[in-house]
Amino acid sequence: MSLGDYLRLLRAQRGGVTPWEIEAATPLSKGLYRQMEQRYKSVGDEEAIRILAAYFNVPEEQLRWRTKWPRKALSKALVWSARSGEPISLELWNGATVTGIVRWWDLGAAAVELPEGGLEVVQRHAVQRWDPPAPDDDVKA
Amino acid sequence: MAENLWELREQKRISVATVANRSGLPIGLIMEYESGLRSIDPRHLTRLARALYVEEEDIRLQSEPRPGAPPLERRDHVVHKVEQPIDRPAPPAPKPRERTPRPPQAQAQPSLPPRPSQLAHLDALLQRLEQTQAALEAELGKPVASLDRAALSSVLKLLQDQAKAKLPATRHRAYLPESVDEYEARYLGAAHASGEPLRFSLFDGSMIEGSVLGFGPYIVTVQLADGSELTLNKLALVSYRRLPAQDSTKEPRP
Repeated sequence: MSLGDYLRLLRAQRGGVTPWEIEAATPLSKGLYRQMEQRYKSVGDEEAIRILAAYFNVPEEQLRWRTKWPRKALSKALVWSARSGEPISLELWNGATVTGIVRWWDLGAAAVELPEGGLEVVQRHAVQRWDPPAPDDDVKA
Repeated sequence: MAENLWELREQKRISVATVANRSGLPIGLIMEYESGLRSIDPRHLTRLARALYVEEEDIRLQSEPRPGAPPLERRDHVVHKVEQPIDRPAPPAPKPRERTPRPPQAQAQPSLPPRPSQLAHLDALLQRLEQTQAALEAELGKPVASLDRAALSSVLKLLQDQAKAKLPATRHRAYLPESVDEYEARYLGAAHASGEPLRFSLFDGSMIEGSVLGFGPYIVTVQLADGSELTLNKLALVSYRRLPAQDSTKEPRP
């Protein structure tokens, strides 16, 4: 799960507090929180992570490692698997790992063809990490 | 050598109306200039030169009438004098208007070379209009390279208008796989049509099996084995697939 998806989850767990309320309650610059949550590339620096970890009362590392796994990098990895025909392993939120070749992907989900046959449709927000990353992956791009 | 206005216009194969439109001058006035009834006002010379894509010195100020053309009558504004009725007092004479002196005209801007972005835009417009640069230069009567920034700007404006008129108003969105949510919708649509059940894994670790009754961007409604219906929020889903016992060759294909 990317930092943006995780922040959205934390926001939902806090009773649906809005991005504007978070910006008002923290010293984050205007618009930064929404960018961190909505942008496909990784947005936000160490200071922003520290502030948000304190606001949501979670360990900073819970936010920090996710900055290296943004949605854009997942898209690149899915595209790479679909084009190359090479299998990809998706580590999911529930602890399971799905390995196979990506047959299709879109905004919400990706279909992975399993070695034993059949498609597993994985929700993108449920993907924690993946392997391998796309060869040209540059998460800050 | 300077040429008659009508000759230049006919060389460019454009109508009087087009010249009027481009220069912002009345058609009647241009016709009078062309017929030689009036000599071209120096204030209008620049506008006419731009409309025809020529230099000011290319235009003869006093055109010779076209051979064989009927003479054009000058349409002066005639003020008809009306005699005042005897029983009505003459209105007071209007006060002479005090004119404010005109500010001095700005110095003419020096000729600047075209911007690279203008040239790139010109290429793009020509492609859209399926026109070659050579054809444009034939119409202009000069190479594009000889145009300065202001002249090229005028040409671009005209080409943009032509492109707008030529191309349909409807715009197609660029197809970006990540900007649409259609593959999953197709998959779920195929599963709904076949009626075959799917197995859903949820974030809380539970599993749900059922056939798809309907779905939207954020939800999937399934019918469970006991006939009851359940709507799942996609945010609560980790993944789903067809039940393993079924023939994998019948996998719904988006």
